This record gives sequence, structure tokens and C-alpha cells, in this order.
Amino acid sequence: MEQAHSMTDEGEAGRRALWIMLRSVKGVICQGPKLDSGYFLHASARAWLSAAVNQDVQIPAEKPRTVFRTSESNPANHAEQHEGQHYSIPLQEVKVVFPHGLPCRFQMQMRTFNESCLMVRKPALELLGYLKNTSFAHPAIRYVIYGEKGTGKTMTLCHAVHYCAKQDWLVLHIPDAHLWVKNCRELMQSSYNKERFDQPLEASTWLKNFKTSNDHFLKEIKTQQTYMWSKRESTEKGRPLGEVVEQGLTRVKNASDAVGVVLKELKKQCPLGSFRLLVAVDGINALWGRTTLRKKDKSAVSPEELTLVHNLRKMVVNDWNGGAIVTTLSQTGSLFKPRSAYLPHELLGKEGFDTLDPFIPIQVSNYSQREFESCYQYYLDRKWLQHERASTEEGRKELLFLSNSNPWQMERISAYL
Amino acid sequence: MAAPMAGRLAALGRRLAPPARAWLPGLTQVRWSRYGPSYLEPEVNKEVYRKPLEGMSEEEKTEWELKTLQPIKATASNVTSSVFSDPTISKFTNMIMKGGNKVLARSIVTQTLEAIKRKQIEKYHQASEEERESIECNPYIIFHQALKNCQPIIGLCNVQKGGKTYQVPSPLKDNRKRFLAMKWLITECREHKHHRTFMHEKLSQELLQAFNNEGPVIKRKHDMHKMAEANRAYAHYRWW
Repeated sequence: MEQAHSMTDEGEAGRRALWIMLRSVKGVICQGPKLDSGYFLHASARAWLSAAVNQDVQIPAEKPRTVFRTSESNPANHAEQHEGQHYSIPLQEVKVVFPHGLPCRFQMQMRTFNESCLMVRKPALELLGYLKNTSFAHPAIRYVIYGEKGTGKTMTLCHAVHYCAKQDWLVLHIPDAHLWVKNCRELMQSSYNKERFDQPLEASTWLKNFKTSNDHFLKEIKTQQTYMWSKRESTEKGRPLGEVVEQGLTRVKNASDAVGVVLKELKKQCPLGSFRLLVAVDGINALWGRTTLRKKDKSAVSPEELTLVHNLRKMVVNDWNGGAIVTTLSQTGSLFKPRSAYLPHELLGKEGFDTLDPFIPIQVSNYSQREFESCYQYYLDRKWLQHERASTEEGRKELLFLSNSNPWQMERISAYL
Repeated sequence: MAAPMAGRLAALGRRLAPPARAWLPGLTQVRWSRYGPSYLEPEVNKEVYRKPLEGMSEEEKTEWELKTLQPIKATASNVTSSVFSDPTISKFTNMIMKGGNKVLARSIVTQTLEAIKRKQIEKYHQASEEERESIECNPYIIFHQALKNCQPIIGLCNVQKGGKTYQVPSPLKDNRKRFLAMKWLITECREHKHHRTFMHEKLSQELLQAFNNEGPVIKRKHDMHKMAEANRAYAHYRWW
């Protein structure tokens, strides 16, 4: 401020020299109009503006176009000004945080572009706002992300998972609940409860991925009771939870029960406050729908007869505190539901809706003008849109029309252009 | 005896202008259209409609006036005014199509283009700065160049002379060259590859190989050329 007052005494040249010095103090310059020293703006306002433009590399100088990338890679700092922009997650972090969460087309895109970029969108910002303000003394709030096909529900969930992982929460991420109710090759009768069925393959894959993402927690959390796996194998009370996971991985027959034990322990210990728990389930409508699995006598298996589904249902009830439950409705992998169904009532059914009620619904819709422009610029930048007409105004209008701003459709169309 | 006669009449019919060859002895119209001779072809390209009337020359202006008065044929359902439409790709899709299943054929072609693009972009991102300029990422350019590399220059025709059929080297029309290139690519993928691999994977591999002037389809083209070279002696049997 003392430097500013001395400016009036010096000549124009001296003023310019001071402006060049002060250029680096961007915070002061940005508050130009609010400062009471009026001479800040009048003389070299244009110099300041051009200086600011030169520093922010993303904005091209010719005409104001949408900025499509942001360097803010921590979801905790994402705010409304980052809406529509892509932020990148380092590939090492992706391997740890998302061993099994991302959609497969996104994984292909990651491999092709050699980077993983998520778009910051309004529903995700809303969800992050709620998660930031969760009170851990109250019961866990359920958030249900719903929307039409291909609008970005799974990616919103992944954004929330990334935020919680960065905030050092324990993330219980079930990538697709529909995979547990269909196409099961080995369905065994559960040893714990004769009525129920085990799914060793699905349970062991999930345990493996869970271990990758939450290794450090598994060493700290201790079991609170003894578990007998068989006549000779048991896990004592007070052993780290990692041992239960190891047991499930080595003895694949007990994998589903190991999953059940892990869920039970986490739910019991989360209210004690030593860690925060995020239960992220994609395609939660699978838990209350129908399955395509059949018993030996060709009669249909209902979801509650599966151990994994039974235990997960208990997890999603809000009788524990110290975390949050974020879920997604999905018609894409669902069974016996029409393609046009996307509302919670239609996909969850009466039973599911009653169990999840009360929940906070978060709707995800197609891209806005700004988001579409951002996605288009991102694809152009990554050289994904190769067709010579795709970079013209005509091509852009046609892409907008063909995809109807639907993210899934946009991705599919730009794949072959 | 009949084949050269029909061939001569066909050649004559081709040389005469359309109104004159409406009827010729020995030539029966097999394909005919409900449109009369005054119907004009539709113009699908949007750029043409954006040209201002003042900017056109005299003949173009008369042509434009004619188009406003004459009746116009309906557009075929596989023709679009999309800026991304490509007649070669449409032809290729039609050749892949089996049993009228255009949806499947189109999905195979789009997946092929995507596969080519992915492979090339992965290579691009992993290559060094100097190599990056030489890597072509545009799947359409790769497709067209591969097709051009597979087109034979000279073909063989069956000519019957003195009871024996000879393979006579003869020039090929552009359409025939394009057809042969596409046919060879598709047959190669269908027959000589493992049946459990997806068609788009096989096609993308073949197209990339043809783009680099290697692979079985290029070899087949060279075999065709060698046969034509070997049968050079029979070239005089061709009279057209």
C-alpha cells in the first residue's frame, strides 16, 4: 500500500516499473476496484489485464472461448468457478483410489490419452458440498444419484469417492451391484446359513480391490469378536481386519462370509469415531430387483437369498453414524426394467424405496452448453476428434445435434469421428 | 459366339446417348425406374445451398433455375446431408452387410475406425517428438490410403477362344478396382483369420497393415499383377 501511495509522486515511467513489479502480487491486483486507492485502475488497467491474460495459459488471446482444463486436482477445492472444467488425477493415484470403480469406456480412454480427466459438474459439486458439511454424530445420510441413461451418474460417484479418498475416509466402493445378481458361474450354498447362497468369485475380486484401496486402514482396525471359518481356521478377537480379508482371499470358499464380516465390523466400529466411512454403491437398484440366477431345481433366486446382497442391504440402512452413503441408480445393467425407467420409484420398486427412504436425491442431466463446449474442446485437444470436419463450426453443431448433449452419446460418436 | 455379340451390343449401347438407346434389338430393359427422364438427382450437400445467387456464373444460374422448376427424385435412405458422411465408407458398410443387417455392419465399421484411432493415438502418445509427425492418427485417411494401396492396376478377364478360356490381362475401371480392394479386405478377414476374433479387430489390423503396404491383401494384389504379367502373351485376345 505504501508503494501505491508513492506512485503519484513518480512519473509515468516509474508507475510502469512498479506495475511490472506488482504484477506477481496477483491477489492485490485482482481486488483493484475494491481498493480505496483509485489510481490503481485508471492508469495501467490495460497493462494489468494483459498481464493476467499472459499468465493464464488456457485462455487463447483471440476470442473468449471456454476454458476446459483446471490445474486444481484436489476435489476439496473444487468450487463453482471450476464448473465445466476437466481436472486430471495422476495415474498412480487412480490405481490406488479406483482399482475397480471407473466405467470400462473411461478406462479405455485413460489408456489411450495416457491421462485420467474428470469433468467437474454441478451435481458433483452439490454432493461434495453436502459431504463437506456432514455431521458425524447424526446417522449416515443416504444420497441417491439418479438421471437418464448416460448422463454421468457413475462419474459423479467416482468424483465423490476421489474426494473422500483424498480426505482419508475409508471407502467401501461396490463398482456395480448388478454384477452380483447376474451371470454367476459358481453359486454355492452358504456354510453360515443354509438358506443363503455364496458367490466366491465376485466376493474374492471385490476383496482384492478393497485391499488395494484401503490397505492402511486394514492394519489399524481390529476385529471385535472371534470368527470361526472352519474347525481349524479362525480369526481371534483383536486381530487386524487385514487378516479377515486375507482369509477371504486364500480360502475362496469363505470369501462371501469374509465380506460379510468386514461390513459388519466396519459398521460397528465407525460410530466410535476412529475413521470415517463412505459406502459408495453403483446400481443400488440391483439389491431390490430380481436376479437371473437359478437354484438347482430351476426356481429363481431372490436377491435376499444371496449373502453379499443380504450383507450390503444391512450396510445401506441408516442406523449407524460417522460417515455417508452415496448410491447411484442404474438402468444400464439392470434386469427386467425398461430402458426408459430412470426415476427412483421405477427402478427401486416399493421395497427398495421404503428401505432407502429418507434419502437426498441428486439429479444428473445432460451437458449444458458450457459443459458440451468444454468436452468438445477437450477431445480436440487430445486429438480424439480426428475427422477434418469435426473441428469446424458445422461439425460441432452436428455433434451437438447427434448427441443431444448426452455425455455417453457424445463419447460414442466422437470415438469413430 | 453369343458372348462377344452381347458384348458388342453392350458396347454400342454404352456409346449411344440415353434417349437413343431406349430400345435396341437384343437389349431388354431389366432395371427401370418410376422416374421419367425429366427427374433430376437430389443435391444433398448443404454447401451448395449456401452459395449466393450473385456469385454464380451464367450456366450455374440457368442450372439453378432449372432445379427450381424440374421435378427431383427422392433421396436414397442411406444418403445424408451430414458433414461426416463418406460415400466410400457407405460402400464398404454395404459390402460388409449380410442379410440386410445394416445396423450390425455399421457398428462393425464404426468400431473398426475407433480401433484404428485408438491404436494410432496410443502409439502417438508413447512416441518421441520426431516420430510423432510421421504417425497418422486420422482413421479416415488411413482407410482411404489402405484402400488405395490395395487397388490392383491391371486385372484378368476370361476370354473364350477356340473352346478354351484364357485369362487375359485387361485394364480395370475405377469402380471395379475399388470393389476388388474392398472385397479382398473383407474376404481376408472373414476366411483367413481366427473365427473367434471380432471382425472389427481383424479389419483394423488388416487396414493398418495395408496402410503400411504390407500384409496378405497387398500380397494378393501383387499376385494379381504377376499373373497379368505372366499372361502378357494373351493380351491380343482382348478386343475392347
